[in-house]
Amino acid sequence: MLKSFRRMFVIYKGYRLRLVISQVLLLISATASISLATLNQQLINDGLMAGKPLVIIETGIWMVVLALVAGGAMAGTAAFAVFFAQGTAYLIRSELYHKIQTFSFANFDQFRTGNLLTRLSADVNYIANAVLYSVMLLLYAPFMIVVAFVLAWINTPSLIWVLVVVSIVVLAVMAVIVPQIFNAYAQRQQRLEELNNTLQENLAGVRVVKAFVREELEIERFKQRSLAMREPAFAAAFRVAALNPILTATAQIFTALTIAVGGRQVLTAAGLNVGELITFMQYLTLVVTPLAMLAIVVPFILRGDASASRVFEIVDAPPAVIDPPDAKTLDPAAIEGRLAFENVTFAFRRPDGQYDPPALKNISLTVEPGQRVGILGATGAGKTALVNLVPRFYDATQGRITIDGIDVRDFAQDNLRQIVGIALQEAVLFQGDVRFNLKFGNVDAPDETMHGAAQAADAYGFIANLPQTWEAPVARRGYNFSGGQRQRLAISRTLTTLPRVLILDDSTSALDVATESRVQAAIPGFTDNVTTIYIAQRISAVIDLDLIVLMENGAIVATGTHETLLAENPLYQEIYASQLGSGMTPATEERPAEEKPA
Amino acid sequence: MTTTTTTPPEYDITLKHKLAGRKHEPVTERKDDTLQILGRLVNYTAGGERRPRFLRAMLIRLVAIAMLIAIPFLTGQAIDVVSAPDGALNMLFLWTGLALVAGVAYLALSIVAERVFSDLATRGLANLQQDLFARMQALSLRFFDQQPLGDLMSRVTNDTETVSLFYESAVSQIIRALFQIVMILIVMFLINWQLTLVALVMVPIMLLVTAVIHRISTPAFTQMQERLGNVSGFQEETISGQKVISSSRRQVWAIDSNDDLAGDVYEVATKAFFTSLLQFPLTQTMTMLQIVSVLVVGSLMALNGTLAIGTVIAFTGYAALLSGPLSDIANLTATTLNAVAGGRRVFAIMDEQPTVVDAPDAAHFQFKGGHVEFDDVDFSYVPGRKILKHNSFEALPGQMIGICGPTGAGKSTIINILTRYYDLDSGAIRIDGQEISQLTQESLRKQIGVVLQEAFLFSDTVMNNLKYAREGATEEEVIAAAKQANAHDFITNLPQGYDTLMTERGANLSQGQRQMITIARAMVADPKILVLDEATSNVDTRTEKLIQEGLGRLMEGRTSFVIAHRLSTIRHAHKILVVNGGEIEEQGSHDELMAAQGFYYKLYMSQFKGKGPAGEDGAVDTSGFVST
Repeated sequence: MLKSFRRMFVIYKGYRLRLVISQVLLLISATASISLATLNQQLINDGLMAGKPLVIIETGIWMVVLALVAGGAMAGTAAFAVFFAQGTAYLIRSELYHKIQTFSFANFDQFRTGNLLTRLSADVNYIANAVLYSVMLLLYAPFMIVVAFVLAWINTPSLIWVLVVVSIVVLAVMAVIVPQIFNAYAQRQQRLEELNNTLQENLAGVRVVKAFVREELEIERFKQRSLAMREPAFAAAFRVAALNPILTATAQIFTALTIAVGGRQVLTAAGLNVGELITFMQYLTLVVTPLAMLAIVVPFILRGDASASRVFEIVDAPPAVIDPPDAKTLDPAAIEGRLAFENVTFAFRRPDGQYDPPALKNISLTVEPGQRVGILGATGAGKTALVNLVPRFYDATQGRITIDGIDVRDFAQDNLRQIVGIALQEAVLFQGDVRFNLKFGNVDAPDETMHGAAQAADAYGFIANLPQTWEAPVARRGYNFSGGQRQRLAISRTLTTLPRVLILDDSTSALDVATESRVQAAIPGFTDNVTTIYIAQRISAVIDLDLIVLMENGAIVATGTHETLLAENPLYQEIYASQLGSGMTPATEERPAEEKPA
Repeated sequence: MTTTTTTPPEYDITLKHKLAGRKHEPVTERKDDTLQILGRLVNYTAGGERRPRFLRAMLIRLVAIAMLIAIPFLTGQAIDVVSAPDGALNMLFLWTGLALVAGVAYLALSIVAERVFSDLATRGLANLQQDLFARMQALSLRFFDQQPLGDLMSRVTNDTETVSLFYESAVSQIIRALFQIVMILIVMFLINWQLTLVALVMVPIMLLVTAVIHRISTPAFTQMQERLGNVSGFQEETISGQKVISSSRRQVWAIDSNDDLAGDVYEVATKAFFTSLLQFPLTQTMTMLQIVSVLVVGSLMALNGTLAIGTVIAFTGYAALLSGPLSDIANLTATTLNAVAGGRRVFAIMDEQPTVVDAPDAAHFQFKGGHVEFDDVDFSYVPGRKILKHNSFEALPGQMIGICGPTGAGKSTIINILTRYYDLDSGAIRIDGQEISQLTQESLRKQIGVVLQEAFLFSDTVMNNLKYAREGATEEEVIAAAKQANAHDFITNLPQGYDTLMTERGANLSQGQRQMITIARAMVADPKILVLDEATSNVDTRTEKLIQEGLGRLMEGRTSFVIAHRLSTIRHAHKILVVNGGEIEEQGSHDELMAAQGFYYKLYMSQFKGKGPAGEDGAVDTSGFVST
């Protein structure tokens, strides 16, 4: 019970003293409240009944003092409760995110962005609420109940069985309802996550939705998710709402029963007097009030526990790629950049642990330092999968990849990614300014390096034309730049890190050919002797490289220069003819037969 | 991320957190709209057609409360019987029996009422979510350009969650508590109005304190929700851009920035929650003081003989009874204020108006062959920064129009305004003689098929992704379209064929394969006019050839627009528009443009990098290209 929630208490290791103080304040507040009830009786019995105005005033003053003490102590507890609740929220936001940062791509294939975001937002809130109410009330209730039992034991032992019965009834009701609430909450959170995934995807694909005019379908889909979430939400809300009247009614019914049973004892002179009966009813209130309080608090804690277990699911996921214990860290400048794939086979792993059919089969390829290699191939041939193995986005299933003879898995990941720079097709920028984004991979780079990188990537011109140039703001994901601008900024960003092995994974696809060739021509001038791998669809992007690798179905089918491949390889000839020869033919016209480039 | 189209260059956006040296904007003073938002929120759960149910449930609950209030009276009578020297057993059992009946009735009625309230509360939330979502669907792209996705998500999750708590625990409880207070006060007034006034001395103080707390915590809650939006925005951005973060080795930066943003939340959340929680001990203390003052004043009055001792004791009982609903209200204040802050952000979206709206007398688009005319079109995403200048051209029915030009020349923008994602600054676009601003967006877009470079697919099966294109598309139609697009073979080779699930980051499919699916999807839609925005640039040429065969079939007799950097893609277009710096520099067929030896010629020749048919002389000067 509450396994996940209890696990969170590790967080409070350094704050035990504050936790203790908060609970001491809570007990002071509870004691003051109980004493107030005692003084209340005293004022009536010794003041009012005895006709002593001085006692009334004196007791009244003490009561005011106690009320202030109770309030002050409770305010103190509230301050600590807020500290713990929000502190926990802060820590989870921070630690969970930290954990996510250690994830590799295989982990991300398992947890969708929407799932992670739900856990980082809604679940964190529920945990914070649970902590808040736990600190404020969890100890309060048992304390009050114990005090009431002790007082009843001393003063009215003949009626103590009523307290026992009430407690058993309340606990029995809770035992039935509480697990139902817990399950309903867990299900609600899961459905919320599904709702969020639907939402995130819809927002991400807003253009597709609009292009196909499928807003209504989307609304309907969201509605289904929303209604699916409502079912467990209702099941939980109803039971939570019912708890309060159930406990109140139990208290009232038992009060009436006590009066009936106790009153009969009084009337039949069976050893109980009216005063004792009235006092006992106070004890009954002392037991039932905190129980009712628990009824309010327990659902919050259950919700928090359900959320905490979801958070721990992420925390406990092992990162798929980890550094070996004796990971090497080498000076990037000393790396020559000889990249070798040695009989590499790779298959994606499905969430159920099974492997998909291999995406790469027995790849062997050596790239010499400073060589410029182009990889061409059909979609799905495995080009991206191949280069993803170099910076260890994924690990090879069999075989190994070496840089200067050292297995990439022996490098510290941080060091490896310093050596290997990769610019991706989807050029993601981050909110900040241009300078921040360009120096993203190399914070300490001097401005000259950044300027040089921007020049090489043909981004210098348009950046210089921006009103704020290098300080120009970049919106989230770089939305305020065009696709071509984003790609050039992304290439500049990679170049600024001065990598020894540079991978451009179709990262010039949004550029026109002229710009693309300018970029390609400028890169060797910027980073001397860097080993470069271009993945491209356009033959013009690889035409003048040192080596062209043709891939098909996860295997290398040919390597050579433009000239040798054009002379010998039919596949290459075909690609060349299709790109620099004919083009898309409108259906109303006959496609010209075997036309040579003009 | 759905597109690589030229998105608005809005350099004037204000950055809440400029990550280097972030500073917080001062808390903006805003009009107190708390009550208005509260009213709107309540309306969702208890307004409109739900009102009768809500009122009925409220009535049931009030009866239940009356029962609850009757119990102390009944048990009091029973105590009197016991206290009396000649108390009769049957009278004792009568009163306690009645109290038991009242208790059971209270329980039964309450559960009936709570069931309705929970139902209404969860329905209210579902309706709020759905309305918010529906509004988002209605908004124009311009809105999504400006709104970070994470922040939008935060509004649907964090903000509606605060509202959910409010619906589930506050709406009916506050009314119940207020009713309880009023009923107890009435009883007290009936017994002794002077002592009631004494009991009420604390009320103005309590109200004052509540007002002060409200003034501090309301803006704090608002700020908290905003900062939560910032954290979510950041987390969404960085988690989806994780590839860049890990390859740039900036995990530490991400962690630190996240810590900072989470710290900002912490800072304001502690303030918000602490001030609102203060209400609880304050109310407790005030009610205690209330009881003390009643007791002291009442006792002194009793000693003077102006009051019966029994009345004093009854009054302390009632004053104590008041503390329950009063502290309930105090407890619910935090929930309510937090919900108002969340509700404000939700309604901010709901009140957002689409920038592109159908004209009041918008006509249904009548397709008559697909004659497209651009007439002196000017366009800008942000005022003052013209993206397109004086664009005029014509596409005859069935023609294929190629569009090329340097990066950022405005090619994609032409498509964005043809589909009316944005409205023009000046000029007109006519299709078959109908001006598109006078047509309904729906009828227009249903006839224009767009395939974007970014191959966005939903996390669903291949089949469902294809069916997405057209309502009511059958599996046979989908498979036929996939065959047309030459995608059928590779789809059937997937592990589960058409039932293969697309994963979010697409690890199981290559970009090109995803692109083929998007093209097949466009074919399922069977549009009359087709737009391909770099649709085949991620596809190898072999696949492109396959696709183009399919597209050729699709484009038969239809007007099409093809944007491509790879000039071979548009080589056989009837007309090629060469766009440079927002203006149409040249237009004509490939042969005409090559013969002109102008801009297009240079673009074309630059592909060969001196290895083309013209030999080393083919290397051309491309410095005149305005690649912005």
